[in-house]
Amino acid sequence: MSVAQPAKRPLGERLQSLPKFWIYSILLVLTTIPLFVTVSVPNEPQEPAIDLYASLMQLPEGGRVLIASDWTGSTRGESGGEFDAIIRILMRKKIKFAIYSTADPQAPLVARDSIARLNDERRKAGLAPYERFTDWVSVGYFPNSEGATNGIANDIRSVFGGRKDFPPGRPPTDIFQSPVLQGVRSVSDFPMLIVITASKTSNFTVERVYGKTPLAFAVTGVMGPETQVFYQSKQIVGFAGGLKGVYDLETMMEHGINNPGPDGKIVVPSSKYGQIPGFPGMPNKGKGTLYYPTLHVALALLILTVIIGNVGMFLSKRANQR
Amino acid sequence: MNPLHLLAQAPATNFWAEPNGSTSLWVKIVVGLIFGIGLIFALMAAPPQVRRPIVAGVTFLAGLFYVLFYLWPVPIDQKDGELPRNAVEGVGFWLKDALGVVVNFTNILTGFMIGLGIYSLLRIHLRRFFKFQKDWGFSLTLLLSMLAMIFFGYADWLSRLGERGALLDERSNWTLVNYGRDFLFEGLLQQMDAAMFSIIAFFILSAAYRAFRIRSVEATILLATALIVMLSLMGAVQYAIDTPIKQAAGPNGFLLNFQLSEISQWIRNTFQTSSLRGIAFGVGIGALAMGLRLWLSLERTGGNG
Repeated sequence: MSVAQPAKRPLGERLQSLPKFWIYSILLVLTTIPLFVTVSVPNEPQEPAIDLYASLMQLPEGGRVLIASDWTGSTRGESGGEFDAIIRILMRKKIKFAIYSTADPQAPLVARDSIARLNDERRKAGLAPYERFTDWVSVGYFPNSEGATNGIANDIRSVFGGRKDFPPGRPPTDIFQSPVLQGVRSVSDFPMLIVITASKTSNFTVERVYGKTPLAFAVTGVMGPETQVFYQSKQIVGFAGGLKGVYDLETMMEHGINNPGPDGKIVVPSSKYGQIPGFPGMPNKGKGTLYYPTLHVALALLILTVIIGNVGMFLSKRANQR
Repeated sequence: MNPLHLLAQAPATNFWAEPNGSTSLWVKIVVGLIFGIGLIFALMAAPPQVRRPIVAGVTFLAGLFYVLFYLWPVPIDQKDGELPRNAVEGVGFWLKDALGVVVNFTNILTGFMIGLGIYSLLRIHLRRFFKFQKDWGFSLTLLLSMLAMIFFGYADWLSRLGERGALLDERSNWTLVNYGRDFLFEGLLQQMDAAMFSIIAFFILSAAYRAFRIRSVEATILLATALIVMLSLMGAVQYAIDTPIKQAAGPNGFLLNFQLSEISQWIRNTFQTSSLRGIAFGVGIGALAMGLRLWLSLERTGGNG
C-alpha cells in the first residue's frame, strides 16, 4: 500500500513563509559577527551631523555648555555613542558642562558612569581627568520634563536652586558655587544647550527654550525624521541621528571638516565651513565604529527578506494565473 | 510706601535650605511626605461631589498660571531687588518669581506619582507572595531585586557623601557597596534594558518580511522610498553608488543630483519634513482642544468623575 506523500508547496508560497526560527537565527548570527571585527566603513557624514560637529568645534575653548542627558541603557548603542563623542569633544576643548535629566531617573547615574569611563580613558592617555564640580557638574533629575524645561528656559536659577553636587574632598555643595555655573543668571548664559535624548524631551526643549540659546540635538534613529523638521526650520543648529550620526561624529573627530589628511585628501568636504580640524591620533573610535558594520548587515538582511517575500508573492500570483 | 512694592519679590528664603543630612531637614521631609500622602488618600476617600470641585479648582488655577505666564508680559532681564513700576509689571514680576515654585511643585507631584507606582507594585507583589498565588516566585524575585537595588544604591550614595566621595570616581578606591551598586545597576539593569530593546530588531525584521508587499502603487512608492533611505544609511553602499557618479559628473555636474545621498536628502527635506509638519499641526490643534477641555474640567473621562 502506498503512503500518500504530502504535496510539495510551490516555491512562491515557501518564499513567503520562511520559518521565524531561521530568520531570527540568521539575524542573530549575522549581526553578531561584525561586533568581533573592527572594520572602517567608508562614510560621508550627513549635513545635520556636520553642522553639529562644526557648532561644537566653534564653541570657545574653556567655555561652558548645558547638557540634557535623557537616555539610559536601552538606547546606549545610539545615545551612549553620541554622549561619548560629544563629551570627548567638550573635554578636548576644555569646555565645562552641567548635566541635567528630565526623562528618566536612571539617566543622571548613567551619565555619571559614562563620564567616569571617559575619565579612565583620559588617564590611560596621560591626560588629566575631568574633575567633578570643577569641570562638570551633575544637576540631577527633574521628574516633570515639560515643567522643568519651561522653568529652565525662564528662570534657571530658581529651578536649579538648592541642588547640590560632590566637590572633591568636600561635603555636597550648592551647584551654583561650582565654576561651571558661576555667574549663570539665565539659560542664555550658556552658548549652547545640547540635548542627548531617546524621548520627547527634544520636543519640549524646542517648544520652551528655542530662541534663548542655540540648541543641538543627539537623538535615536527613529527620532531622526521628527528632528529633521526642527533642523530644516533652523530651530536647532545641528543633530546626530542614530548610529549613522554617531559614526558621522567619530569620522569627523578623526578627519575634521575640509581638513586635508597626511595624503592631502579631504575625507569630509563641506561647502558651508572652512577648515575645521579633528583630533587625529586620539581615541575617536567608539560605539559608532564598532556597531556601524552591524547596522549594514541588519539593513541588508531587512532589504533581502523584503525582496524574498515580494518575489514569493509574484511567483504565487503567476502560478495562480496559469 | 508704594503698595505695588508688596508684589515685589520677598527676600529669598528657601524652606528646604537646611544643612544637608541635618535632623531638621529630615523632619521637614518626613512631615511633608506624610502630609502629601495623607492629602492623596483623603482625596481618594472623599465622595465625588467633594473631590470634583477641588480637583477642578486646582486644575483651573494651575492652568491659569501658565496661561497668564505666556500672555502676560514678564520681565526678560530682572535685576536683583528691582521693583515693579506699575500693576502690570507687578503681576509680571510675581509670575516670574512664582515660576520656580510652581516648577518645584510639579516636580514633587510627579515624584509622588513615582511613589504611587512603587506602592502599587509592592501591594500587588507582597499579596501574591504571602498568599502563594500563581507565579509567586517572580514576585519574590522582584521584591528582592528592589530591596537589593535600594540597599546598594543608598549605601553607594552615602559612601560618596563623605570627604572620600570624590576618590570613588576611580574604581581602585571602591568598596563592596560600590561594586554591588555597579554590578546591579550597570552589570544587570542597564544590560537587561539594552537586551529588551534589542529584541525589537527581531520583530521589525519579521514584520517587514511578512507585511511589506508591493500590492499597490502606493505600497510600491513606499517601498522604493524606504529602500533609498535605508541604503543611504549604509555608508559602504552610498560610497559604492556615489563615487562613480561623482567621477562621471565632475564638479557641479547635473549627474551629481542622482547621487544616493542627494536623493535621500531630497526625500527627507521635501516629503518627510512636510508630512511630519502637517501631522504636528494636526496633533497641536488636537492637544490645544484637549488642553482646554482638561483645564476647564469639561473632560469627564479618565476617572475625573
